[in-house]
Amino acid sequence: MLKDITIGQYIARDSLVHSLDARIKIIITAVLIAALFMVDSFTGFGIFFLFLMVSILLSKLPVMRVIKGLKPILFLILLTLFIHVFLTGGGEVLWSWKFISIESNGVYTGFFMVTRIFLLIMFTSLLTLTTSPLKLTDGIEYILSPLKRFGVPASELSMMMTIALRFIPTLLEEADKIMKAQMARGADFESGNLIERAKSLVPLLVPLFISAFRRADELALAMESRCYRGGEGRTRLHEMKYHYTDFIALFIILCLSVLVSNF
Amino acid sequence: MDKKFTTRMMAEIGAAVALAVVLNFLKLWRMPQGGSVSLEMLPILIIAFRWGAGAGMFSGLVYGLLQLMFGAYIIHPVQLIMDYPLPYMMLGTAGLFSIRENDTIKPLKIFWAVLAAGLLRLLVHILSGVIFFSSYAPKGQNVWVYSAVYNGSFLIPTIIVTYVVVLIVMKTLEKK
Repeated sequence: MLKDITIGQYIARDSLVHSLDARIKIIITAVLIAALFMVDSFTGFGIFFLFLMVSILLSKLPVMRVIKGLKPILFLILLTLFIHVFLTGGGEVLWSWKFISIESNGVYTGFFMVTRIFLLIMFTSLLTLTTSPLKLTDGIEYILSPLKRFGVPASELSMMMTIALRFIPTLLEEADKIMKAQMARGADFESGNLIERAKSLVPLLVPLFISAFRRADELALAMESRCYRGGEGRTRLHEMKYHYTDFIALFIILCLSVLVSNF
Repeated sequence: MDKKFTTRMMAEIGAAVALAVVLNFLKLWRMPQGGSVSLEMLPILIIAFRWGAGAGMFSGLVYGLLQLMFGAYIIHPVQLIMDYPLPYMMLGTAGLFSIRENDTIKPLKIFWAVLAAGLLRLLVHILSGVIFFSSYAPKGQNVWVYSAVYNGSFLIPTIIVTYVVVLIVMKTLEKK
């Protein structure tokens, strides 16, 4: 049941996009989100679309895999399109039948909104497709660190995220093992109504919680015996370093965003 | 070091969030248009009961950020906050309730805590839906009703199921 689960979408490749610094990639994504909201013509979207295609090619990701990421959101996209096409009025009447009519403004706004959603989702998933969760965690820590002086525990936050990331595969395996052990004793996790099924998970949950908290306890002990005392002055094995390509990428995106959002 | 977090608390929050991710894979029920019932709220609630509302909200934040990294659908900057970190942070408010009387867990007190935290999460999801539709759909649609029906349809069963399980698990863990 819990086998063959892939966590996250990260696909490891040796590419230019992958090798960009995680901090820069997060900033770039934020700039792109802002820019996509300022664009108000299809020409602008067209330029961003070309840019998206170039980025996907540079990232060496399988294009179909990237497109497939849209599947869960397809319903929302189609719904947005239909609502606009049928309900937004104004402009030329393109087609009408009894009380239903399709007018040009509706079609225009519908496709405009859908294009925006499409580009937003593609650019943001490009970030998670090309950056591993651990690097993203480090990036978030760096970006939040100026807020430390206002009492935001940025280092603690990223430490907890890192611990969680480390524990996920271990606990998945453990959950699988406990489920099999309980099934061998006759446990049934699949039948019954919602509440019965939830209750049937208790023989899995209790050992799983005990094991998770025991592991956490051991980890805390190990950290403290190695003199862990929070983020202040902590050094790391892999320091994040900016390369000149990071700044070039950021520069290109800033220029592009400023130019295109004025279209 | 920030006095708010001891190393032990941090390790437990990390493990609890990892558990929430694992439990999220065990779907009890899937809705046709996205949304599903799972026990992902359970570990965050247990941290909230164990270490208080601050730690509970922090584990919600960590969980939300991880979900964001595992592949989020970002269609609006406000929706990003309202769909990922914020609803799970709301679960931490369960820690504001005292759930014991004379050192024994009271089912009714847990009920109010889980209900309040769950409804706050639902409220944030409903607001997020309203914000999405007010920026992408034409004006004049009854977005509040649509968003409440959509989000309530999987969150209300989730709250009920989580309450039943949180009660059993807390009582069993207490004995060990």
